[in-house]
Amino acid sequence: MDQLAAAAERVAATSSRNEKINRVAEYLKTLNGADAARAVLFLSGSPFAATDPRRLSAGYATMRAALEAATQWDPEILAICYREVGDGGELIAHLCRPITKGEPLSLEQAQTYFEVLQRTRLTQAKIELLTEIFKTHSAPALKFFIKTITGDLRIGLQKKMVEEALALSTGQPADLVRAANNRSGDIAQVALAARANALEAIEASLFHPLDFMLAQPLDDVTDLEDPPAWYAEDKYDGIRSQLHVANGKVKLFTRGLEDTTASFPEVVLAFTNQPGPLILDGEILAFKDGRPLPFQHLQQRISRKKVSQKAINEIPVVFLAYDILMHQGALLLDKPIEHRRALLDALGLEYVSEQTPVQSHAHVEELFGASRGRANEGLVLKRRESIYESGRRGANWRKVKKPYGTLDVVVTAAENGQGRRASVLSDVTFAVKDGGRFLNIGKAYSGLTDEEIRQLTKIFRASTIESYAGGRVQIVRPEVVLEVAFDGIQKSARHKSGYALRFPRIVRWRQDKTAAEIDTLARVQQLFKDPA
Amino acid sequence: MRVDYKPEGIYLPAIDLWLDPLVPVDAAWLSHAHSDHARGLHQTIIATGITVQIYRHRWPLLHGRTQEVHRLNPNESIEWNGATLTARQAAHILGAAQLLVEYNGERLVYTGDIKHRAPICGWTTEATPCDHLIIESTFGLPIYQFLEAADAQTRIAAFARECLAAGQTPVFQGYGLGRGQEIAHTLALDEIPCEIHPSIAAFIPYYEAQNYTFPSASEGGAVLVTPGRKMPVDIAAAKRKVALVSGWAALDNARARSNADVLIPYSDHADFYELLALIHDSQAQQIDIVHGYAEPFAHILRKRGLSARAAMLTTEAQI
Repeated sequence: MDQLAAAAERVAATSSRNEKINRVAEYLKTLNGADAARAVLFLSGSPFAATDPRRLSAGYATMRAALEAATQWDPEILAICYREVGDGGELIAHLCRPITKGEPLSLEQAQTYFEVLQRTRLTQAKIELLTEIFKTHSAPALKFFIKTITGDLRIGLQKKMVEEALALSTGQPADLVRAANNRSGDIAQVALAARANALEAIEASLFHPLDFMLAQPLDDVTDLEDPPAWYAEDKYDGIRSQLHVANGKVKLFTRGLEDTTASFPEVVLAFTNQPGPLILDGEILAFKDGRPLPFQHLQQRISRKKVSQKAINEIPVVFLAYDILMHQGALLLDKPIEHRRALLDALGLEYVSEQTPVQSHAHVEELFGASRGRANEGLVLKRRESIYESGRRGANWRKVKKPYGTLDVVVTAAENGQGRRASVLSDVTFAVKDGGRFLNIGKAYSGLTDEEIRQLTKIFRASTIESYAGGRVQIVRPEVVLEVAFDGIQKSARHKSGYALRFPRIVRWRQDKTAAEIDTLARVQQLFKDPA
Repeated sequence: MRVDYKPEGIYLPAIDLWLDPLVPVDAAWLSHAHSDHARGLHQTIIATGITVQIYRHRWPLLHGRTQEVHRLNPNESIEWNGATLTARQAAHILGAAQLLVEYNGERLVYTGDIKHRAPICGWTTEATPCDHLIIESTFGLPIYQFLEAADAQTRIAAFARECLAAGQTPVFQGYGLGRGQEIAHTLALDEIPCEIHPSIAAFIPYYEAQNYTFPSASEGGAVLVTPGRKMPVDIAAAKRKVALVSGWAALDNARARSNADVLIPYSDHADFYELLALIHDSQAQQIDIVHGYAEPFAHILRKRGLSARAAMLTTEAQI
């Protein structure tokens, strides 16, 4: 863990994506196979593989109690220190540095600790073990030991970069490593296979979400090359989801790879009898009286952990399928779209998106209008004979959205509003991303319901990094994603992005997206140049 | 003796003397020349010779204005309204000093800004036992732990060398008076050329007068600027790396706040454990905390059985 910590600090100390990958790869090369497998897993911010059902339930309360026991600092001081540091692992490292024996922590031993902590049921026993760990091991090792548990290393290293570093360190093609990890969901297993030159042998594991194929925006329909080479489908205003079925068991995952099965029991019921193993790509939609309901209705269903029968009756939900990724256990990612479509149609599902072969640009315009007329968002265009490019925003899927722009942005600061919103954080500053950085592009005051503002205020208070203007303005961790609509883009010296949105307003809170998925500065620049 | 903590500064009514007041007053002790301590044209000032020089650079006497100046170098004393005032060395920036006030058999020490470790430039702190201590707590939480001067120098030089070897420009963020000169002097010792921002270069002559050396300003070396949200140098982001040399660099979130790649936790203030050492050395019965984390720091001291109170709650608005 000490060498991992040193490597992680070197990764944090550069903003260049390539350099970060190189630094991880250099480190991985110094390790034997078993340690390299552990290292890629921990660097992905997880003590156990994504497919491993084990979860390490050591929450903040447990860690705080152990920190208190190890350092003898009282809770008030710990709370102030945590507020200033903003990260559990880093806090523990700083506070334990003067009291620990400073012994190194091997990756193997770290793994053993994770396993023991996971097996330990009694909170008090967990606290005692953590206290002992805090008093024994070096501060840098503790920092990343804890960050692995809390799940975010905060060194600007995304999952894809760990995959690339693994590829670089083993001499395997990056595509092969990514595809293998997509299938397996266990980066440690992939690391071992990469060294054994056995990546192709890794099979798909069910009930672990595959990466979604994404569509590139197409701002002007006439830019579409060779219209007859495409199919068009309506773009739905729901939650993109992946549905897994096998032996009567059904699971749903969002694009954030989150398990949302519990929120949609009627979907589970509808698919329980499907013969598996089956994986579908599609959309969760609120659907009533033969047509989809606006997204806000669906939002009410997501925010609840337990779904009441009343909610199910009021806002019924369906899974509308538009692609099939596994059929009877066979992975179909490499099969052409026509092949997949034929298999999908053969399932005879009630809700499947309609696919129309495109004839011309004028035809696309017509289909777009028809989709908007059905209260859908626009179109997704899919190229004939294309394969399913898992995890890619490639040129084979294009999306045509509303004629006016919206951007998915992340909130970087929040402040108290005026009047009746003076006690809540209703005014938000938001950013687009540029590589690993978030650059502010505007500020919005309206568009959310009072209930959403109340919920967001709680989230912002919990994720505040720094306050200023007498505590009015909170700089928050960039985690909350909003979709904002606007009437134009201007150059601006006021915002770090160099641009400002005209009349931005919040369309909705995208609880289904993470900050990694928001729009980029490059997209803003493109919209600025070509507002169509 | 009675000490009044007012928004304008610290006041000793028995001997009519202000300590680092923020507005013009009759008589002021200036602990050092940072502008949040030495500011405005007071009628009378008492300070070390170096502090007076740098203060005068910022607050020149224009239009025939006059000012009574008492230069009080370390371990020199003067009589003042029935008290004996003695300057004692403080490790902070060049010329910084603590003030010892002896009055009616009581010893009061005002530290000004101070650290316990030796600085890169400037003198070391002289332990000054007293009854009543007024001390800052800019970094008065245990999360703040800084490097020794020699380790900071090693990190500064290594960062510059590593960047230059990779064909990138090392950019340092250091404050205009103090850290900036310490970084520049460190680069000079390592013979790394450096372009220096005018706001830092302006005070270099005072350091040169104390025999500190500074690097030549040639292209292709390091660049030294003051911290700010906007990068005041015209080098493409891919061609530069930025290091923040600051106490705030002890926390990783300084990276996002300052746009720095590399954090070097070195300060001209005491870190938490240095503050404890300074308080220990003072042997004081009563401790008044000013600046920074005064409340939690006083709380920590009280838990250790000391008589401590948060006297002033201003925070320093540096990065």
